[in-house]
Amino acid sequence: MNYRTKIRLQNILVYSILSIIVFFSLFPVVWMCIISLKDTSESISGFNSLWIAHPTLGNFSKLFNAIPIWTNLYNSAFTTLLGTITTLFFCSLAGFAFAKYRFPGKQFLFYFVIATMLVPPEVGSVPLFIIMKNVGLINNLWSLVIPRIATAVGIFYMTQYIKDVPTEIIEASRIDGCGDFKIFTRVVIPIIKPALASWAVLTLIARWNDFFWPILFLRSSKKYTLMVSISLLPISDGLSTPWPVIMAGTTFAIIPIIVLYLMLQGLQKAGLTTGAVKG
Amino acid sequence: MKIIKAVKRYRYPYLFILPFFLLFLIFQLIPLIWTVGISFTEWNGIGSPKSVGLGNYQLLMKDYMFWDAVKNTVYYWVTGVVFILLLALLVSSLLNNKGLKASRFFKTASFLPNVCAAIAMGIIFGMLFDENAGLINQILVTFGGTRVPWLTSVTMSKIPVVILNVWRNTPWFTMIVLSGLLNISPEYYEAATVDGATAVQKFFKITLPSLSNILFFCFITLTVDSWKIFNEPYILSGPGTSNVSLFQYMYQSGFSIFKMGYAAAIGCILTLILLIISIVQFAIRVRQGEM
Amino acid sequence: MKKKIVSMVLALMMMMGAFVGCGSNSSAGTASTASATNGKTVYPKGKVVIYAYGQPQYLQQYYDAWLERNKDIASGVTIEIVQTKGADDSRQKVTTTYLSGSYDDLPDAMYIDPVNLMDLAKGDIVKDETALVTPLVDKMVSGAANDAKFQGKIYGLPDSVRPQMLFYNKQIFDKYGVDPSQMSTVEGYIEAGKQLKEKSNGKVYLSYIDPGSKTWRYWGRRGLMPQANAKIWDDEGNVVIGSDSGTKLALGALDTMYSQGLLLKSTIMEPALYDATRKGEVATFDIGAFWDEFLRKNVPETSGQWRVMSAPVFKDVGTAGAPVSSYFAIVNKKDGVYAGLCEKLWKDFNFDSTSRQEWVNKMVEQNAPYSNPISLDMLKNKFWKESSTFYGGESFRAKESEFLQNGSKNLVVTPQDAEADEIISAELEKYVAGSQSMKEAIANMDKNLKAKIGKAKIEK
Repeated sequence: MNYRTKIRLQNILVYSILSIIVFFSLFPVVWMCIISLKDTSESISGFNSLWIAHPTLGNFSKLFNAIPIWTNLYNSAFTTLLGTITTLFFCSLAGFAFAKYRFPGKQFLFYFVIATMLVPPEVGSVPLFIIMKNVGLINNLWSLVIPRIATAVGIFYMTQYIKDVPTEIIEASRIDGCGDFKIFTRVVIPIIKPALASWAVLTLIARWNDFFWPILFLRSSKKYTLMVSISLLPISDGLSTPWPVIMAGTTFAIIPIIVLYLMLQGLQKAGLTTGAVKG
Repeated sequence: MKIIKAVKRYRYPYLFILPFFLLFLIFQLIPLIWTVGISFTEWNGIGSPKSVGLGNYQLLMKDYMFWDAVKNTVYYWVTGVVFILLLALLVSSLLNNKGLKASRFFKTASFLPNVCAAIAMGIIFGMLFDENAGLINQILVTFGGTRVPWLTSVTMSKIPVVILNVWRNTPWFTMIVLSGLLNISPEYYEAATVDGATAVQKFFKITLPSLSNILFFCFITLTVDSWKIFNEPYILSGPGTSNVSLFQYMYQSGFSIFKMGYAAAIGCILTLILLIISIVQFAIRVRQGEM
Repeated sequence: MKKKIVSMVLALMMMMGAFVGCGSNSSAGTASTASATNGKTVYPKGKVVIYAYGQPQYLQQYYDAWLERNKDIASGVTIEIVQTKGADDSRQKVTTTYLSGSYDDLPDAMYIDPVNLMDLAKGDIVKDETALVTPLVDKMVSGAANDAKFQGKIYGLPDSVRPQMLFYNKQIFDKYGVDPSQMSTVEGYIEAGKQLKEKSNGKVYLSYIDPGSKTWRYWGRRGLMPQANAKIWDDEGNVVIGSDSGTKLALGALDTMYSQGLLLKSTIMEPALYDATRKGEVATFDIGAFWDEFLRKNVPETSGQWRVMSAPVFKDVGTAGAPVSSYFAIVNKKDGVYAGLCEKLWKDFNFDSTSRQEWVNKMVEQNAPYSNPISLDMLKNKFWKESSTFYGGESFRAKESEFLQNGSKNLVVTPQDAEADEIISAELEKYVAGSQSMKEAIANMDKNLKAKIGKAKIEK
């Protein structure tokens, strides 16, 4: 076996494994979309679920009758966008401080930030609920935004990235008379745009898919985010929502974020990975 | 005096990191301490808590549901760490292949599962794994197998949860590992190739050691994520407590049957477990001279 | 350019925030107190929120019509139904909201089942309705208010009392020549199942069994347990489920059916069960009048094949299924102004014949759920005896009323039962999953109830 055939074999192996992985990654999503277009009277058990005899959008209109989905969509978009923007700003601000300043206790405080990642805030959900009530944030979309304005993992990530920003540029602008905050907004932010973009994508995804906090803090269907609303679709005491309608709901919840992800992915020249976590 | 001076002098960096610490205090630290307090009481949420000392903890030790939840969570933790890290290593190595065409497509497509909400995908996986109507059993039957009671048997019900967990979270770690791979200087590999090293040798001698920090980061993140797994078993619930996670049990005790003190005690134990695992891990790293 | 876009986005977010901020107050903002003019209570503008489960969007049609008729007292009032996953979920939501102190976000009223009503009554979250219900008890089907009593007071407005009934597919019985009349007893029911299985070569199942919590809820708590006169607690509240002969009888019957392969293991409200039913592989659905909606909605193709009879009785006990009551509870909402409106709504729904019939007709057209009224007067109307093509010309409504007779007594409901249900169901689920025998399941229920709850507080 010569070198070239070896390379070719290797290539075949690489592409087939990757194709299998892509297949398994995409299949459940595609399958969901198929079912959401099937008429409710069609059987969806076993192989019947793989093709559509009478494609219909009827499930979506049934879905719109069942839950206030546009309001839910708005709620999801509101918390996701606002949550992402605020967290990007405050995490990079703190990251800037940790990466480019010297101040007493810096090392300790940075390790402290990292250590907080080890205790999930969810364990304190019982008192957190009461605290939220006292600050008037129960059943308020801001309850999903404010506690996570600055997250440990975000700060860690931003610090790692901002460390690579040349200190000379910062010093130069300081000499030009820029204040600290101005340096951050005018100098640092433009440089770390790729990192902000990657982190934005990841935060958008995480916030959109958030489930635990919304079910805890939101109390009425008008305030529910999409995830909460669709999670209520399948199980209903004594009666059921037909599967295609449920699938219409999950499709409705998943497709917007996929589209957004693909768009942002297209915008970034080097893809998500450039700015990702460094060791 | 000295402190005030320092604060004044370094007011900007302190101001910049202040939001985090403020939020941490209000939304994480106070709730945590409060949780410890509640865990010594019996409280249904309405009225005032009644002190019961260590009663909740004693009850927990005897509660088989709690032990089931602990066992299940350990299962999710171990399978999650093993499968996700192995798959992430495999996929990221493949994606890191220099001559790979359409690498952008493969990267984008293989990351998609992480974009999809666990709740929505849980509903879909529940359907795929349905014993009678699910596609997976239909495929098994076609190939001469028998229907597997995925979600309806005590022994199998954790499997769909693990599959969903691995399916959804592998891409995220693939991406992190890939970023680590990109940082390894190609010169190392070239030098190794000149020395006649095989691909396997290169992997164990260059790739793994270079990734050790990244893998450690992944391990810690995966550990925390696995111990607080909630969405997957919540949506794909199996018979009895057969696939209930610890965190889910805490949620049910607190917000479904309103035994707040009991739930708080579970929360405290969960925190304790996570702290112990982390300390042990860091200690090992320090002893190995890695940190 | 880019900066402009960013600032525009930010400005937009701010506006949205302001908008959302306003929206959250609208439900309670304008509500002042109800004022009385000309002997009529007039309600202020605002929104009434009601928690409901099942398919409550259909109730909305009744409410909207009601608001239209009652413009004189409720102009500017709208009713919003919030759908929850079920009674447990409703209770959970109300309790957490109550606990959070955000009283404005509480519903004004909610539909609820006895177990959860008890829990809410204990926490004083729902309104004491003794004064309203007591004079009406004689006008309602017997026992309608029984399960709403807590410490001598009545906490829920009876919404429906539905009997347990047996739905059977007559076509299947005819095809295999099995006599359905033998199913008047549980023993005969099992026998019919065996015959069906034998004659169809194992193709036809007698019924279904759910791998999740619904088996305990329907076969257990609502169905076989009360019919077998079984007990979870004794009169003092001690756990007796392990030694109780009724439990052995009830769960033993389930065990016989399941172990002989007469029950299709399938989640209750999911496609596998629809498909099997459509293909004529499930011959009967026992326990629960709600199968009416299930069948009409999910397997309309089988219209005309179904018949109903009273739920089979145990030979040694002799009482039919225990009626299932559901209640409409008014929430004790601080500064709430719509309690009176909700009470009137309830009263009209249950005692105003014309509007109820209009609504039921609409439900029939849409294959939507409805149940018989609880008012005896209303039931006298021949409307409630009309025949139904779905049941081959038999009158489902007449049967629903008829089967309320000879009902068994429901299991005693205590404030501990919400938790007890979880413990018992977990063991039953493991039994269904095949990891323990029924004997072990019952023993474990007993052991775990004793360990985790100890003693229930029985109200006398």
